[in-house]
Amino acid sequence: MNELKLFSAELRRGWIQFIRYPAEAISGIFIITALFYGLFLGAKYVAGPGLQLGDRLDAIIVSYVLWTLVTFILFNTTGTLQNEAQTGTLEQLFLTPFGAPRVFLTRAIADLFIQFVLISTILILISLLTGRYLSFPPALFLPLIAVIMGAYGISFALGSLALLLKRVQQLLGVVQFALLFLMTISTESLTGSLKILGFLLPMTTGAGLLRDLMARQQPLNFTLLGFALLNGLFYFGLGLLLFRWAERETKRRGRLSGY
Amino acid sequence: MQVLEVQHLHKTYRQSGQTIAAVRDVSLTIAAQEVLAFLGPNGAGKTTTIKMVAGLILPDRGSVNIAGRNPHRDPRAIGLLGAVLEGNRNLYWRLTPEENLEYFGVLRGLSRKTARQRGRELLDRFELTHKRAATVQALSRGMQAKLAIAVSLIHRPQLLLLDEPTLGLDVEATQTVKRLVREIASEGCAILLTTHQLDIAEELSDRVAIINQGAIVAEQPTQDLIRQFSGTAYTIEVEDILDDDRISKIQHLGGFGDCVDPKIIVDQK
Repeated sequence: MNELKLFSAELRRGWIQFIRYPAEAISGIFIITALFYGLFLGAKYVAGPGLQLGDRLDAIIVSYVLWTLVTFILFNTTGTLQNEAQTGTLEQLFLTPFGAPRVFLTRAIADLFIQFVLISTILILISLLTGRYLSFPPALFLPLIAVIMGAYGISFALGSLALLLKRVQQLLGVVQFALLFLMTISTESLTGSLKILGFLLPMTTGAGLLRDLMARQQPLNFTLLGFALLNGLFYFGLGLLLFRWAERETKRRGRLSGY
Repeated sequence: MQVLEVQHLHKTYRQSGQTIAAVRDVSLTIAAQEVLAFLGPNGAGKTTTIKMVAGLILPDRGSVNIAGRNPHRDPRAIGLLGAVLEGNRNLYWRLTPEENLEYFGVLRGLSRKTARQRGRELLDRFELTHKRAATVQALSRGMQAKLAIAVSLIHRPQLLLLDEPTLGLDVEATQTVKRLVREIASEGCAILLTTHQLDIAEELSDRVAIINQGAIVAEQPTQDLIRQFSGTAYTIEVEDILDDDRISKIQHLGGFGDCVDPKIIVDQK
């Protein structure tokens, strides 16, 4: 009940700021869509008129949109910490009986709901530009949840680093490209020990399942889904544990607000 | 009834291989309806102490109790305190006063309905109702300061922490903040405020604790402390020997000086 109350407050806060300053959202949609379309046209030009991407293009679209979504989640905690520290509201978020990790997680989920509006718009625009329309079977929510849990885990781990080290912009740049690798690596085609590594890497199994469902119209593989959910839970738990530890350590160092 | 009890707080930081004692053996208590001013120069340890009270900095040693609860262990203790730590900056500038009050009310554990209702009452009381729908960034600095205090009171805390509440405010806004602090205390809230301005401590507090280099060097009722430290006369040392014209002007003001010693002695009476 309390969580719902907090979630509704966070959703309202985020939505008001989102609609009050729409230029930021619109420019975000434009940049992400234009970047994809630029890459798409470039690939077409290099490959010549005979290029037939078929369901591979659909898989690329799924990976790209997923990358956009996961990038948003990943930088949400760090972004919140840095923005709130700059505006002066950060310490107020720690002065709550809910506890800071709960507030940050609830805010991240509320922000994700708003982000879905942006992602859906980007997906529609990309579909219109490329002429490819993805399928959306209801089963896709299961692997999506696995990917999102993993993303939140990494997000909290990065947030822990931001709490402790304060300036992590350089690291975030590197993480963004590592993420592109994680989202696009085709773990479903790996074999032997590489396949095991694929299960251990964060979010990759879930991303592969989403490509199967949305681009290749394959049925959901429940064994792989089990691995994807375990993987997501592991990284989610690890991220939260790290965040709790980092909060205490930052309070011990007396550096909660100093950015 | 003691609302805040702080016992033997210690905090040291390590910086560039050096150990800095930020707070040394600080103990204090504040009762309901009482204002304690924490007076000291910049870097004396005021903010570190107030943040240890708020549970935002972990002490190396010592204990903090807010109405019998430890803010470092019991989350319910956090619900008993309100804090304005960054002047007018502890607000969302893109939200309106009404939206800020509602959001922070829920964050402090209130229902949305209660937060809204109390928000309206506070806006009315702080004379901000006419600005309820304007974004915070469009408000004057004085209004922002009032709103920051209103937000810290939304959950009706027993203890209010104010870190340099009048810093950067103009004369009018300073007067308003002073009036509000006195009103809030008279309604039963215990207030701990930090300041480096003697006049603020003198006007607002019932007791003053002077902190220097991390340790409390004096703690007394405000009037006693002012009397003790002011004495009947004080001496001002000047750089050069004074000329006759200046000496006569000082004498006209009730002071004393001569052409040999570079000193002025002023009797308070």
